[in-house]
Amino acid sequence: MHIEDFIREFKKVVFNTDIEIKNSNEAYIYTIQPEVRYIVARLTDDFGLSFMSEFCFEENVFVINVVFSSRKDGFLVVLRYNADGYIDSLTQDIPRAGIYEREISDLYGLKIIGTSDTRCLVKHENWDLNEFPLRKDFDSSRKINEKNNVPNYIFESVKGEDGFQIPVGPVHAGIIEPGHFRFTVCGEPIDNLEIRLMYKHRGIEKICESKNFNLLPVIMERVSGESSAAYALAYALAIEKIMGKTVSPEIKAFRTVIVELERIYNFLEDIAGICTDIAFSYPSKKFSYLSELVHQICEELTNSRFLRSAIIPNGSGIDFAIVDKDTVINKLDKIIKRFKYISDMTVQSVSFLDRVERTGCISMEEGVSLGLTGVVARACGIRYDVRKIFPYNNYNKLFVHEIPSMELGGVYERFQLKVKEIFQSYEFILKSFEEINVDIVKTVPQIKIPDHTEVFSMVETVKGELLLYIRSAKNNYPCRVYFKTPSFSNWSGLEYAVRKEIVPDFPLCNKSFNMSYSENDR
Amino acid sequence: MRIAWDRLKNKKETVKNPISDNKYAFGPVKIDYSNCSYCNSCAENCFTGAISIENGKIEYDVNKCVFCRRCISTCPNQAITATHDYKLSQLIDNPDEMRKKIFSIYKRSFVLRSVDCGSCNACMSELSALNNTYYDISRYGVTFAASPRHADGIIVTGPVAINMKHALLKTYYAMAEPRIVIACGTCTYENGVYKDGYSVKESLSEILPVDLFIPGCPPSPQAIIYGLFLLLEKL
Repeated sequence: MHIEDFIREFKKVVFNTDIEIKNSNEAYIYTIQPEVRYIVARLTDDFGLSFMSEFCFEENVFVINVVFSSRKDGFLVVLRYNADGYIDSLTQDIPRAGIYEREISDLYGLKIIGTSDTRCLVKHENWDLNEFPLRKDFDSSRKINEKNNVPNYIFESVKGEDGFQIPVGPVHAGIIEPGHFRFTVCGEPIDNLEIRLMYKHRGIEKICESKNFNLLPVIMERVSGESSAAYALAYALAIEKIMGKTVSPEIKAFRTVIVELERIYNFLEDIAGICTDIAFSYPSKKFSYLSELVHQICEELTNSRFLRSAIIPNGSGIDFAIVDKDTVINKLDKIIKRFKYISDMTVQSVSFLDRVERTGCISMEEGVSLGLTGVVARACGIRYDVRKIFPYNNYNKLFVHEIPSMELGGVYERFQLKVKEIFQSYEFILKSFEEINVDIVKTVPQIKIPDHTEVFSMVETVKGELLLYIRSAKNNYPCRVYFKTPSFSNWSGLEYAVRKEIVPDFPLCNKSFNMSYSENDR
Repeated sequence: MRIAWDRLKNKKETVKNPISDNKYAFGPVKIDYSNCSYCNSCAENCFTGAISIENGKIEYDVNKCVFCRRCISTCPNQAITATHDYKLSQLIDNPDEMRKKIFSIYKRSFVLRSVDCGSCNACMSELSALNNTYYDISRYGVTFAASPRHADGIIVTGPVAINMKHALLKTYYAMAEPRIVIACGTCTYENGVYKDGYSVKESLSEILPVDLFIPGCPPSPQAIIYGLFLLLEKL
């Protein structure tokens, strides 16, 4: 169904609503608060749209936006209403809307009506309950006060004689980011896992509001270091969409090379982590060695091991000479050959398979209702990839085959898919290099965004689907920047994956998800 | 069997001298004052305020620089160029000989605990890259411990978000004295790019006594190894 057909059909079901199409694939539905739940039910039940996110911005009044996407036909639907001091909870129809609502409630001070879980999400105990940092009357140079008046966070308690809880974190054993895990265990298997995050909340969305559009790529690349290039690309796509410009096919192809390189080194590190967590050290060391080699290729290409400053709106942040093409391809080719040998060796090992097969499974129904994205979703049979459904760069030419997916949704499936995607990324890189026949010259144009415009852009990052919303205020400054990061929706998947597994399998499940704490907390 | 074959075929993969020169690495920018027209374009394009023009003089603070190279690409006179010297680490605030002696005790074995207080996780990625077979930091006696009780020092990445401050202090005080604090990455110095964030208040040096600061966004494994060598007097 095309977006215009959708609007025609929608008007037959719900009368008297204003609908507007912006930026070719975004439909905005303006409504009033009492009708929201009815319309949401129509959108999800009658039109099969999937809930993506819910966020708020302030422009004289608090405006709540509920974003839906059509995972079949590639368009976005935004349901928008003015909040009258409170939010009507959607959790009865869409349980996963809960965390989005709690985030709005913490940062904007709107009460949630009609849900049982109103615990603070962003605000930890040391915050001030009556300060709402994302409101416009909270000056951007101010810091929050520490008043310790937020009620204690209550974890789900254990009842009965044999159950006990294991608290883990926020500082973990190893080189990883902070987060608190509360395991409820009965005997060996995990009965329940509750994850508390937001330890790293820095207020990136508010920082963005105080910088002009020319400076924003710097902070975009630092929302999540592992997917720096993908965030820069999401920003570049958003700016180009709002300005109605496109870059040359060479730059488009080159951007694909960059984001696919990023995918390769991240997936190599992920599967190295899976091997470490089952103490299969040889492949683990080799995978991380190969990842290091890819990092070095990145450094040679862009002078940054994390591909930073390479993707710039309306231009390119770096020079690239086509004579370097062959050296990059040769190096990558060696890495991929070696990778194939070692990954084959890994999956032929019985002790490896014994640990990963049927561990940490998520069923497709659970995956759909949790709104999983990325490799985690594809491992449980959800055929969804932003590169195919909402194509950007040159993916409409590259991604012609079926989206690779598997069924059981366990650690093994995620491992196998990551291996498959590394080969797929390598293919994409080769094909994209074929399209680059002219030297790419560094151009960093100044950006000028018209006042009071808005745009959504979507990118498939390493972890999954990233949604970026930008709304401009006056004088080239943003009014609101919102990220729906892939980790924000995928963390809840981990809680389901570890159920009925034993505690020692938790690191394995965690590594196979490998979500970013940084982009979740923001 | 296949492991043995792979091992024999590919031989040693560890680099002999991890702190050799790297012509692709990022380093501080160099300003050519003869070409500069003091147009203020670099200062306007600097996210962290590393470059500023005061009283007709350009001030460049490498500790604040995130090496985004925007100043280079926007300078109308091409007066700014990039360098490739990654050896930027500096020992801070230890004038007394006592502390220096302590560092040399750790020459043979130095156990670190890593705490992330709000980094973008690129620094964490680089820290874990130290353990790969290419750099293999453990051959110099540096290892990462799973508990602060086993650690001689902590390596902190990122700005200190207020939700993490308590956990950071607890980790610090759980260690045995003398506790060495290593600040890894530009964010640990005056909170870097996140300094305007509403939940980022004090910087690391205001909370804990920092012994070593490794600038970089993120510092490459080479830069971190150079910093550790500086601390352990292995250069």
